[in-house]
Amino acid sequence: MTIKPKNEQKIWAYTFLAFPLLLLSIFVFFPIAFAFIVSFFDWNLLIPDKPFVGLGNYIELFKDPVFVKAIKNTVIYTLGVVPVQTFLSLFLAFIMNQKLRGRAFFRTAFYIPAITSSVVTSIIFVWIYSKPGLLNYLLSSAGVDSNIDWLTNPSTVLPAIMMLNVWTTSGYFMVSFLAGLQNIPASLYEAARIDGASQWKQFWKIMVPMVRPVTYFVVVMSLIGCFQVFDQIFVMSSGGPDNASTTMSYFVYQNSFKYFRFGFGAASAVVLALLIFTVTAVQKKYFPPEAY
Amino acid sequence: MKTFYVILLFIVFFSCKSEEDKLRFSSWQSSPTEEKIVRNSLDSFSKEHPEVAYNYQPIPGNYPEKIQLMLGTGKAPDLFWLKGDTSPAYLSFDVLQSLDSLVNADPEFDPDDFLPAFKDAFKYKGKYYGFGKDFNAYVLFYNKQMFAKAGLTAPPKNWKELQAYSKLLTKDRNQDGKPDQYGFIVEPSIDMLLPFVFQNGSDLISDDNDILVNSTAFVEAVEFFLSLYNSGVATIPSDAGAGWNGDVFGRKQVAMVISGAWMIPYLKESYPDLEYGVSELPEGKHKATLAFTNAYVIPKQTKRLEAAWKMLSYMAGKDGMRIWTSSGIALPTRKSVAIENGFYNDSIFKVFMKSAEYAKLYKVNMQERWFDETNAAMQAMFYKKANPQDVLDGLAKRLENYKLK
Repeated sequence: MTIKPKNEQKIWAYTFLAFPLLLLSIFVFFPIAFAFIVSFFDWNLLIPDKPFVGLGNYIELFKDPVFVKAIKNTVIYTLGVVPVQTFLSLFLAFIMNQKLRGRAFFRTAFYIPAITSSVVTSIIFVWIYSKPGLLNYLLSSAGVDSNIDWLTNPSTVLPAIMMLNVWTTSGYFMVSFLAGLQNIPASLYEAARIDGASQWKQFWKIMVPMVRPVTYFVVVMSLIGCFQVFDQIFVMSSGGPDNASTTMSYFVYQNSFKYFRFGFGAASAVVLALLIFTVTAVQKKYFPPEAY
Repeated sequence: MKTFYVILLFIVFFSCKSEEDKLRFSSWQSSPTEEKIVRNSLDSFSKEHPEVAYNYQPIPGNYPEKIQLMLGTGKAPDLFWLKGDTSPAYLSFDVLQSLDSLVNADPEFDPDDFLPAFKDAFKYKGKYYGFGKDFNAYVLFYNKQMFAKAGLTAPPKNWKELQAYSKLLTKDRNQDGKPDQYGFIVEPSIDMLLPFVFQNGSDLISDDNDILVNSTAFVEAVEFFLSLYNSGVATIPSDAGAGWNGDVFGRKQVAMVISGAWMIPYLKESYPDLEYGVSELPEGKHKATLAFTNAYVIPKQTKRLEAAWKMLSYMAGKDGMRIWTSSGIALPTRKSVAIENGFYNDSIFKVFMKSAEYAKLYKVNMQERWFDETNAAMQAMFYKKANPQDVLDGLAKRLENYKLK
C-alpha cells in the first residue's frame, strides 16, 4: 500500500465531508439563517405583502406579557429540572455500577422512560395527575389529603411537568454517567480504600471529580433540552391554565403556526436561541469540562 | 427483468400524472363515524358527477396549521372545510375564491334556501366565500330520571330556575361533604360562556369593532356563570376527572349540561341506557344561544375551479346535505333539507332547529390569538379565583391589539 500525497488525501476528505455538509446546509444552516431574516419582517405566510419592520417584532415581544411569562416559566423549568436530573442520574449510575442482584433489570427499568415516546409518557402522566388519578390516590393512602387536579392548578402545573421530565430523562443520562464511571480505573478506589476512605468519601472525592467531563456533557444537553421543552406542554397542558405553563418553544409554535405570525414567532425563536447560547457559553467559561 | 422495471417506472410515472389532474378535497376527521359519512357523501357525488375525478385527503390532526401551511406554499387542496370561528382571519387574508359568479350561474344551488342565521355566515365585503355544510347549536341536555326524582317536571326556563334547579339537583348521598351528583356542569372555556353573554345582551366585540368584554352586561354574565361553579351547584370536567362534560353527564354525575348535537351519537354509543331530554337553553334577558357552522371553501390558488364548484355545490347543495345530515351527526343549514329530513317534527332535532332561529354565530372578528387570550382569562377566574372585573379589564386592553383591520 502506497501512501498518497497529502493534498490528494485532503481532496478526498473534503469530498466525503461535502455531502453531509450540503445536507446540513440545506436543512439546518439555511433555515437558521432564514429564520433570523424572517424575524425582521411582518411575515404572514398567507399574505404576499411582507413588510420589513426592523426590530419591531423584538420590541413587541418584550412588551408582550405572555412572552415575558414564557421566559420566566422556561427559566424556572430549567433551574428546577437540570440540577435534580443531573444528581438523580449520577446517583442512579452510582448504584447501578455496584454489583447488585438484578442489576440488568434495574438498568432496563430506568432506561425505558427514555426510549418511550414523550407523547405516550405525557398521556400516561395526564391520567396520573388528574383529580381521581394515581398521584392523588397514593397521597391520600399515605395520609395526605390531596384533592387537586395537578394540571389545571396554576401553582402545580409546571412542577408536575418538571417531575415528568426528570423521570423520563434521568435514565438516559444515567447511561452516560455509567459509561463515565466505568472508565475510572479501579486502582483509584483501591488506593482510597487502603487509605481508609468511606464509601461516601469515595463518591465525592473520586467519582464526582472523575466524571466531570460527563457531567459537563449532561448539564449542557439537559440545559438545551429544558430550554426547548415543547411536547410535554403541548400534550399535557397546552400552556394553560392562564399561561402558567407556556414555555418559549410553545410560544414560538403558537405564534407561528396558529396566529399566522411567522416573523413574530421567528423573533421569539431567535431570543430563545440567544438565551441558550449565552447560558452554554457561561457554563463553558466558568465550569469547563476539564478542571483536574 | 429490465423491461419489468421500465414498465413499473412508467406505471409510477403515469399514475402520478393522473393524480395531478384530480380534484383534491380535504377535511378534518373527528371520528370514524364522521369519516364514513364523508365517504358516503362522496360516493353519491360520484354517481351524480362521474366526470369529476377526485382524491379525498383527510387531515386527521392539527387541521388549521396544516391548511395554513398548504395555502402558504401553494399546495392547498382545491376544496376544503373551514371552521366558522377561524374564518374571519382567512377571509381578511384574501386567500379564498369568491363564489358569486358561480352561484349566479348555477340556478339549482339556491342560496336563499339557507336558514337566515347561516346564509351570510361566510360572506365578506358583500361576496360569498363559502357555504355552511351544517350547523350545531348549544342546547340543554337533562337527565330525566334525576328530574323525576327531584320532583321537577320541566327543564329550567330562565337563569333563576337554572340556579334553583341546579341547587335542588346537587346531592351528597354518602355525606362525605363532596357532592356525588351535581345539578349542572360548566367549562372554563369561552364558547360555554358566550350563550350567557348573548342572553345578557352583550358580545365579545360589537359590530362597530368595540371590545365589550369589560362592559357591565358582559361582566354580569361572567359573574352568573362563575357563581354556579363557586356556589358548588355546578362542576367542571377536570374536577370530575373527565375529558369533557359529555362524559360526566353519561356517568350520571350531573343532571344538566349544555352541549351540541355531537352529544347524541356519543351518548348512544357509550351510555345507551341514559334517559335524557333536550330543551332550548334557559333564557336570560334575551333568548339566545351559540351556533357553530363550518363551510366548504375553495382557495384562490386552485387550478380546478370548475370541478371544485361542482363538488361544493353538490355537497352543500340539497342532495349532498341531505345525505350528510340524515345521519344526525349535524344539522342542515338548508331549510328544505331540514323539512325533508323531518327535523322540525323530531322531538330532539326540533329543539336545534328552533334554537337556530335566534342563535348567534360563533365567529369572532379578531385575530386568532383572541381565543387563547380569552381562555387564559377564563382559567384565571376559575382556577385562580381572580376578580372578574379586573381580569376582564386586562383582557379588554389586550384584545384591542387583535382587532382585524
